Amino acid sequence: MKALAVDKSFVERAIGATALVLVALGPLIFRGYFAHTILTQTFWLGIAAASLIFLSAYGGMISLAQTALYGIAAFALGNLVGRGEVKGLHLGYSPWLSVVLAIAITTALGLVFGAVASRSTGIYFLMITLTYAVIVFYFVGQTPLLGGFSGVSGLQDYTPGIVGNPVAHPNRLYYIALVTAVGVYVAIRYVVRTPFGISLMGIRDDPVRMGSLGYNAALHRTLAFTFAAFIASLAGILFGWWNGVVAPDHVGLSATVDLLIVAVIGGLGRIEGAWLGAFTFVVINNYVRGFGFLNNHFFTSLGLDASHFATYIGVIFLLIVLVSPDGLIGLWDRLWSLARRQGGAARSAAAAAGATAPRG
Amino acid sequence: MRRLNVRKWRLLLPLAALAVASAAIAASSFGATSKVIRLAIMSDCKGAFAGGYELDLGGAQAALAQYAGGKPTNRAKPSDGMTGIKIGGHPVKIVGYGCGNDTVPLAISETKRLMEQLNADVMIGPLSGDEAVAIAHYAQKHPKKTFIIGTAGSQDPTLQIAPKNMFRYHGDGAQWNAGAGVIAYKRLHWRKAAIIMDDYSFGWTSAAGLISDFCGVGGKITKRVFPPLNTTDYAPYIRQLPGPNQVDGYFWVVGGTGTGPSLKAYEQAYGRVDPKKFVGNLFFFFQSGFADVAPRLIGAYYGGFGNAPGLKTRQARQYESTVKKWYGPAKFNVTDSFVYNYYNAAHALVIGLARSKGAVGAKLQAALPRKIRTGYQVSNHGVVKLDSNRQAITDQYPQQIVKGPDGKPAAKVVGFVPSVAQSFGGIFKKTSPPPGRKQPPCVKHKFPWQGHIRAVVNGKITNKIIG
Repeated sequence: MKALAVDKSFVERAIGATALVLVALGPLIFRGYFAHTILTQTFWLGIAAASLIFLSAYGGMISLAQTALYGIAAFALGNLVGRGEVKGLHLGYSPWLSVVLAIAITTALGLVFGAVASRSTGIYFLMITLTYAVIVFYFVGQTPLLGGFSGVSGLQDYTPGIVGNPVAHPNRLYYIALVTAVGVYVAIRYVVRTPFGISLMGIRDDPVRMGSLGYNAALHRTLAFTFAAFIASLAGILFGWWNGVVAPDHVGLSATVDLLIVAVIGGLGRIEGAWLGAFTFVVINNYVRGFGFLNNHFFTSLGLDASHFATYIGVIFLLIVLVSPDGLIGLWDRLWSLARRQGGAARSAAAAAGATAPRG
Repeated sequence: MRRLNVRKWRLLLPLAALAVASAAIAASSFGATSKVIRLAIMSDCKGAFAGGYELDLGGAQAALAQYAGGKPTNRAKPSDGMTGIKIGGHPVKIVGYGCGNDTVPLAISETKRLMEQLNADVMIGPLSGDEAVAIAHYAQKHPKKTFIIGTAGSQDPTLQIAPKNMFRYHGDGAQWNAGAGVIAYKRLHWRKAAIIMDDYSFGWTSAAGLISDFCGVGGKITKRVFPPLNTTDYAPYIRQLPGPNQVDGYFWVVGGTGTGPSLKAYEQAYGRVDPKKFVGNLFFFFQSGFADVAPRLIGAYYGGFGNAPGLKTRQARQYESTVKKWYGPAKFNVTDSFVYNYYNAAHALVIGLARSKGAVGAKLQAALPRKIRTGYQVSNHGVVKLDSNRQAITDQYPQQIVKGPDGKPAAKVVGFVPSVAQSFGGIFKKTSPPPGRKQPPCVKHKFPWQGHIRAVVNGKITNKIIG
């Protein structure tokens, strides 16, 4: 049994390493659109989802504010760095200063949001964070000074030298997003192993007992929310560079739900699910309508041709959640358990038949 | 130990094979290129303007059928596609239809899908204002791609942003409203008015036309109210408007699915609508969610859409019969500017590609016509000119809601405003602030069309001057 447990970990690491090698060679292997749109989006969307999954998996908090937080970072960046675009404040700060300020503003707002929401749990926490999402949507939309409903453009015009022009040199942004995603993954894995992370998990499991032991549950939750806001802000910066424009609808309810879907598809229990969910979401969103078989006579006669792609996307997401409520990561876990059980049964049968096998 | 290693490799080999196969599929199937001219048509199939989707595609494809040999797959449903398009011997393939929802995020992601994933050389579209602003910024970054706006009316794309690879063969929201403010002042005798406008780039641009036109002849705007796009409960915004006894009338610039609910909210707050107290923009006769209020608005004036339903000119009849010829079974209103503007955009593209001998990119952009004959253009011998920002200078037609032959509300053209430019008599410039909540200010101004707006009676342009 011990050997099999090692095997799972080994296989997961091998899959992770293979995936990392593949994406590291991404621009060499894949055509431009797949690398620079599908994969780059996967990286930043995965970072945003990782901020949500971190709160959910280790803090027991399902936040609907993460989209709003990455939107705040993108809006802040656009307003700080812009110089004379049609909409926005046009403060014209240097790109690096704007990045630092955008991250700082988002993290500070995360601290405030977290402090207010930290004493709530369950559905109440969900509702408070939903309120944040709505507040941010209407605030940026109804403040023409910050861009209004048209949003802020020109985020690709004033980037740090290392990023350059994301349209002319998309590989740079690709690798920056990849390195950031890996950094976020490592940072989260590190944080959850620190005393803070362990006590956060304790608070997730039994806040009353942790409180009686002297731990400040609200403070831990607030700090976790702030850390998640910091992660979300990184996604917002990358998103701004990648998309070039940020509008209120990027942080609206639909986008909020999309991020939750990404996290649910990937699996709310493990950080790896963030990028798995993001990749699945982006691929389905981009390629479903290209499925030629949907335009054959059968589907057309039923009125369900490829023009109903949104319905198909919804059905696919529904199927994923129905088949595996804990997401694709959960599906993997269960498939592995199944294989282990079958393997165990086979060994038992072999042992019963008197067969001997060398032990590793 | 040795046995375990063998098992590890057994697991790893299929994984590695899977990864390599995925990479190969991705590399071979994504982003394939072709020698044909690749065309994308972008519209809204979701959101407030989803009703314009088939009309937009039908308009563009009717022109491709008429001038480039395209064959509709299904004359009742343009989105089923078109084959056989050839221009000067060069095949043109419609690689995809964009499906926006009147929001920036989807406009950008759809544009990326069409231009980068499906490798389109040219895009006709989008449908609406904020989408066009976002796509204009996108166009700036992709100078080899060519964009011909479908029917979006925001000012920014061809004035403040104005990328060299973006063209618009119809008016913007302000141009469309030229003359409607004069009618409010001269025919309805308004002197003080309030305005309610959608809080986004098209709403602001459309309102800018009404405000400038009305204030230009001496009117005053006493209150501006701006509900967010896709508002469902308009009561809080209606309450911000002055009561009907405090102003002579209201300019109503609430569009899409908001027109009906906003007017209903007005009736709940201030009683039955009085058509003499309302002047709208093109959405005033937009039917969605509006059927029950429309009969009470018979007699109200509104700014046009660059179209002229019922205009009795040879060019107008020719245009209308052409669209009916190709998409008659679709039974859409061919006079609708969703059809008309996309038709003209596609027609211009055919001319441009013929001149560029099938070349795309900069050559096509140089070859796209700066003058084009369109159905409802009368002045300048029926030819629409583009200005230096590649924006159309076109005739406009203020309209009125009347009772149709079937007793239902119908549109009637009442005025002819010749050759309205985007600069709007010089008040809108590249350096001036784009239309917004407070832009433009309400100031008296002499516009070129003041004193030259001619009445249209029974579809014929008369010599009678309005005002």
